[in-house]
Amino acid sequence: MKITDLKKKLDKFSLDIKSLEIPEGKIYGIIGPNGCGKTTAMKLMAGVMKPDSGKIDYCGLTPRDITMVLRKPYLLHDTVERNLIYPLKLRKIKPDITLIDHYLEITGLTDYRNKYALTLSGGEQQKLALARALIFSPKLILIDEAFSNMDIESVAFFEDYILKTQTEDPLTKTPSEPKTFIIISHQLSNIKRMCEYTFFMHNGEIITSGETDKLLSSPDNDKLKQYLNYM
Amino acid sequence: MFELLDRETLGIIILTLQMTLLSTAISLVLGVPLGLWLDRVNFKGKSILVLINRTLMASPPVVIGLVVYLLLMRNGPFGSLGWLFTLQAMVIAQVLLLTPIICGIVYTASQRSSSHIRSFAVTMGATKWQTQVLLIKELGNEIYFAAITGFGRAMSEVGAIMIVGGNIRYHTRVMTTTISLLRNRGEINQAIFLGAILMLIALAIQIIAGILRKRERRTDENY
Ligand SMILES: Nc1ncnc2c1ncn2[C@@H]1O[C@H](COP(=O)(O)OP(=O)(O)O)[C@@H](O)[C@H]1O
Ligand SMILES: [Mg+2]
Repeated sequence: MKITDLKKKLDKFSLDIKSLEIPEGKIYGIIGPNGCGKTTAMKLMAGVMKPDSGKIDYCGLTPRDITMVLRKPYLLHDTVERNLIYPLKLRKIKPDITLIDHYLEITGLTDYRNKYALTLSGGEQQKLALARALIFSPKLILIDEAFSNMDIESVAFFEDYILKTQTEDPLTKTPSEPKTFIIISHQLSNIKRMCEYTFFMHNGEIITSGETDKLLSSPDNDKLKQYLNYM
Repeated sequence: MFELLDRETLGIIILTLQMTLLSTAISLVLGVPLGLWLDRVNFKGKSILVLINRTLMASPPVVIGLVVYLLLMRNGPFGSLGWLFTLQAMVIAQVLLLTPIICGIVYTASQRSSSHIRSFAVTMGATKWQTQVLLIKELGNEIYFAAITGFGRAMSEVGAIMIVGGNIRYHTRVMTTTISLLRNRGEINQAIFLGAILMLIALAIQIIAGILRKRERRTDENY
């Protein structure tokens, strides 16, 4: 994915990404203080929001290959299971029972498959939304603080799960084409464990980026240093 | 009680149901897309359009009746149809009353949650058509409410259908216009009987609609 001169103004806030290249098949992180424009940048990438100007080149990906999971996900006024298989239904794919069972199992919602999804707890809703985004194997998966309400054990589980299934089919355990993940998180542990490369945003701009370990252990930017100090 | 429910009365009840169901169905087909459209579009005169919609939601039935009468009367622009004092005329008047109500309810509901639903649809890779279907499904509760409100209004309405239907015996006489006529004639017992049936139909419709709605929507959502 290639971004050039992307601009978006929202009231007093303005996002401005001059140039950004995100090669496929890796896991990326975006960090930065509240209101710096992480969600806005991601919504533009997902096509949920239209930019005022500028361009995103998806290098062959279509809208159907891209998904985004939000901190407060939208769940259908329907059961857990029907929420889970919704993206498959849109693609006229008849879901395989083992596929459904697998995703219910990783979310721990097997016993709740017929439960009304909006009565789930915040963390359970996030797990369901994450599973719903993974079930149709999109090539680009954008995750915006989608672990924030999960317990520590579940977060660790999904970190591992994403790392493993990024290059492997979860059911057959055979290698698959590597997927691209972009993850926004305020828990640096998420970023450190999962992301190879990380971008730091400030006031609507990406002001520095680098390989995650290097960027976080020896920050080259005052704003980033300040951000990391409070962690 | 059975002598009160003669052939004529039965005919009146059936005609009332026909008129009400037809008016509600047509108004839903027009009002739901109109409400969704009004929420999606943005243009200069939109606020005026919304104001007109709000005004029409509360339009007096006799005025609507009068307008339809003028349109359908023999020398009127649509006089050649010969629809004045027919079921068609009554349905047209009611559709003009109900559509703004349904449109307004759907518009308000859509304003509240359509942007979330549309964003979600994008993240799921839904097509334009699939997004519309999703919107209607997710706004089902509000659309149901709009339908019931419209149905109630259509069934209890007198002013408009009296003018354009003419309350003609065996032809355009419905329950409300009959009750009004019976009261004028002093046949209070029959009037009360019809009134009670009207109430019972309203109750039955609520119960049937409740059963037809496959999944019950909860209000105890966990946010
Ligand atoms: N729809 C909107 N209308 C007006 N302002 C918005 C809107 N969405 C976001 N903003 C503003 O844009 C800024 C960046 O928001 P966001 O991208 O959500 O930040 P982050 O995710 O980094 O915390 C914030 O100041 C926010 O108030
Ligand atoms: Mg955010």
